[in-house]
Amino acid sequence: MSLNRKAAAHIALVVLSLIFFMPLLWMLSTSVKPIEETMKTPPQWIPSQFLWGNYPKAIEYRKEELGYIPFLVYARNTLLVTVLTVMGAVISNTLVAYSFARMKWKGRDLFFGVTLATMMVPFPVTMVPTFSLFKWLGWVGTYRPLWVPAFFGGAFSIFLLRQFFRTIPMELSEAAKIDGASEVQTFFDVILPLARPAVAVVALFTFMGTWNDFLGPLIYLVDQNTFTLSQGLQAYQTQHGGTPWNLLMAASCLVILPVMVVFFLAQKVFIQGIATSGLK
Amino acid sequence: MTIKGAVLVLVGAAVLLTAFTLSEAVVSRAAKKDRVTILYWEKWTGDEGEEMRKTVNFFNASQNKIFVKYLSISSVDQKTMLATAGGNPPDVAGLWANNLCQLSDAKAVIDLTDLAREKGITEATYIPAYWDEMTYRGGLWGLPSTPASIAMHVNRDLVPKEYATPETFPQTFEALDAMVDKISKKGKDGSLVMAGFLPGEPGWWHWAWPSWFGGKLVDGDKITIDTPEAERAFEWIAKYGKRFGISQVQSFSSGFGNFASPQDAFMSGKVASEIHGVYKANYIRIYSPKMNWFAVPFPHPENRPDLAGQTVVDSDVLCIPRGAKHPKEAFEFIAYVQRQDVMERLCSAHGKNSPLAKVSEKFLKNHPNKFIRLFDELARSPLAFHTPKTGIFKQVSDEITNAYQEVSTGGKTPKEALSGAQKRIDGLWATYQVQVLKK
Amino acid sequence: MRKEEKRASRDGWIGVLFALPWIIGFLLFTSYPLIASLCYSFTNYSVLRPPSYVGLANFKELAGDEVFRKSMGNTILYAVGAVPLSAVMAIGLAMLLNMKVKGMAFYRTMFFLPSLVPQIAMGTLFLWVFNSDYGLLNNMFKAVGISLPNWLGDPLWSKWTLILIAVWGCGQAMIIYLAGLQDVPVSLYEAAELDGAKLWAKTRHVTLPMISPVILFNVVMGIIGAVQTFAIPQLMFPGGAPARSTYMFAMYLYDNAFQNQRMGYASAMGWVMFVIILALTLISLKLSEKHVHYEGG
Repeated sequence: MSLNRKAAAHIALVVLSLIFFMPLLWMLSTSVKPIEETMKTPPQWIPSQFLWGNYPKAIEYRKEELGYIPFLVYARNTLLVTVLTVMGAVISNTLVAYSFARMKWKGRDLFFGVTLATMMVPFPVTMVPTFSLFKWLGWVGTYRPLWVPAFFGGAFSIFLLRQFFRTIPMELSEAAKIDGASEVQTFFDVILPLARPAVAVVALFTFMGTWNDFLGPLIYLVDQNTFTLSQGLQAYQTQHGGTPWNLLMAASCLVILPVMVVFFLAQKVFIQGIATSGLK
Repeated sequence: MTIKGAVLVLVGAAVLLTAFTLSEAVVSRAAKKDRVTILYWEKWTGDEGEEMRKTVNFFNASQNKIFVKYLSISSVDQKTMLATAGGNPPDVAGLWANNLCQLSDAKAVIDLTDLAREKGITEATYIPAYWDEMTYRGGLWGLPSTPASIAMHVNRDLVPKEYATPETFPQTFEALDAMVDKISKKGKDGSLVMAGFLPGEPGWWHWAWPSWFGGKLVDGDKITIDTPEAERAFEWIAKYGKRFGISQVQSFSSGFGNFASPQDAFMSGKVASEIHGVYKANYIRIYSPKMNWFAVPFPHPENRPDLAGQTVVDSDVLCIPRGAKHPKEAFEFIAYVQRQDVMERLCSAHGKNSPLAKVSEKFLKNHPNKFIRLFDELARSPLAFHTPKTGIFKQVSDEITNAYQEVSTGGKTPKEALSGAQKRIDGLWATYQVQVLKK
Repeated sequence: MRKEEKRASRDGWIGVLFALPWIIGFLLFTSYPLIASLCYSFTNYSVLRPPSYVGLANFKELAGDEVFRKSMGNTILYAVGAVPLSAVMAIGLAMLLNMKVKGMAFYRTMFFLPSLVPQIAMGTLFLWVFNSDYGLLNNMFKAVGISLPNWLGDPLWSKWTLILIAVWGCGQAMIIYLAGLQDVPVSLYEAAELDGAKLWAKTRHVTLPMISPVILFNVVMGIIGAVQTFAIPQLMFPGGAPARSTYMFAMYLYDNAFQNQRMGYASAMGWVMFVIILALTLISLKLSEKHVHYEGG
């Protein structure tokens, strides 16, 4: 590739990544400002003082400034729901996708087509009856509507994993069967270990989706002590004592942090998973 | 299956079991064995929440049969409706007065008339406008926790001497407009720097604009948004866009901060006068204590002196949802809040006026709002009005707010905006009457 | 012969067993709600009282509902803006990253980060960025003398905030495109270069056709996503302000279901939208037959 081309690409990348990162940089900058500087015109990038103390303040329960926002409680709640959901997603979707990919049964392919079609059903359509269903079960106000459905599979993850499983040569399974392994053993001991990248993709997408989920907790959670981080962030906004913008930004940065960390750690596996999945 | 697999499954099952139990524990009601525990859902957080918690604590300490558990719930009206639908409502719900009609129509709250009479709580206990808010179609659906009334707040330092006292500040819309024309300041590029008044600030009572000009929103069995008075009100609103320039108003307004901050439009001196509630004084005290201000009744049209001294009354209410497990105990608590000493302590702490007909001189004298007597007087006036009593108030309010935005952004003329709103509300109201009321 | 038959039928059973979680899930959480939603759409259901049959009244009302038309229109306009622009940005970024310049992992992370931000934080952040008085965007351009519109207060420009936010969050799609690009055989590019093709020609005749399945997938998911857009407009523009210019379909549905207590009506809305999406997807699939190339089999 020509030197000019490479230089142009470099410049474009630098400019674009700056543009993309700017709002986040602004978030960071605001999070350490004193409250008076958050709304200055023209906007001030570098705070006059770096109030790192905003971060512990954002987490603590402080009557005078925040009212009752138990940030750590929300974090615990979100973690609970997220862990359960990811577990459910990984367990159920691997089983189901394996079935679609490598086991023969009547109507399998037709059902797979129908599964794909369900991805087209927008959430608003099923929202009301699903809510009624959970109301009838008496689960409104608990966490169950948020994580129990994950144990029953999801079309997107099934699709992803099934495409991946199909790329594994059938000879491997056949060899295992000749050695006397049952279907279940083949699944656990031969195929699953190979599926790490794809499983990582499912886990990461599910983690991100649940950690940031807003509508689900909004509809199903009632007691403020059970709220998740997304609702907690909203509570900063509706505070009667005035919105502490800098603390809200600090809290937002904290909320993003775990997802970012998980992504950083899992980046390689994640990219590899996407590359070998059926998404393309 | 390998040992590893088996262990994984067992661990997974253990985690699941723990999670199930944990999630139950987080949401279960803590019950005290010796007392009846009732759940109280309230919208307040922060200082207001603390004050209500104090009232709850006083009640719990004053007797040993009932224990009230206070919970701060956001979107408490929606959550209460959903919980009631799910058969698991709180015993006491702290909602807004404008929720009561919808809930009553849906038979989702208990009629408190008999319970109240047993405790000696009747119409005579309250200022008429507040009692009117709580009653609908012959039933009593809630009782106030704290009320409010609204008036015009004026920044003395921004108005010239001839307007700077409660007696001389403009009392009619026409005089107000003349003052606004005189004192508003524009920058060199035509942008707004200080506005004498802006109808869009704070924008909490857009449904009331027709009423300020004498229009009725509910006329017998009909909902009337598009009336001559409403059109006149919206013409008046449209004039502000023409006076300052629509985009200038938009940019100017976008610079206003949160109402509870020093960047609030009134407290930062961007508007010289603002319509607001009795509790505004709290925020002024915290964020702009040196401000020199006073409160006067909101203006009236020049040719309608019969409308002088109007106010909007708005209340936070306590009600008992249908299906509450302990309605009698719930009402014990609600009745406690209605006691004059309890009510006055709470209202004073919230910086609001009291809804009770009887008010103590001590309350008025020690109240944190210097102008509490004005707010009290306005609430007692026969002209005090509240949100229209209809089960579709939310939609009515949404339509009027939308009409306001259409007119103030110059998208539609008042007549177009209002007739559009009227048409839609007619359809919604007809459907509501057939589907909800006739059943 | 018999052993194989036995094996096949036993495999069949185990296959269904493995798929059981999804079968149950499909019935409980997809089929049942879909059918129930259709049933509810013929009722007046206020959640506080049991549903009561009203026949086609909801659909008749929907046909004349101006707010429904407005919310649909807003959603469609938003999709028409957001889907193509996000795709162009995502593909463009993926192509840039595919040039294997130094520090690719760093840039990749930069572009992906925005899609990790929770919607609430995004809503608040962008209220800041787009504010025409003290916001980042307008002040940056004011410094060079360009005056940008009032994004948040002007009904003509408010939808653009949502579109720009969607483009900002295209990181997830970008990663998928990147994987797709890396699969394109280099030999095809070399052949094109031998024919004298320059950058644009190579893109049009090699790159785009080779990733066309991915484009199709992302476009379809983009349309579905647009219909479900809820959190950000709800946070930034309550009630669809100003003047319902940002009132999205999902917001109106939510308001009808949970605020106005009209779940029957909301279900009718949902079904009408579902049918429209199905139609749009089928049309896209039909159109794609001409333009989408699948590798091998």
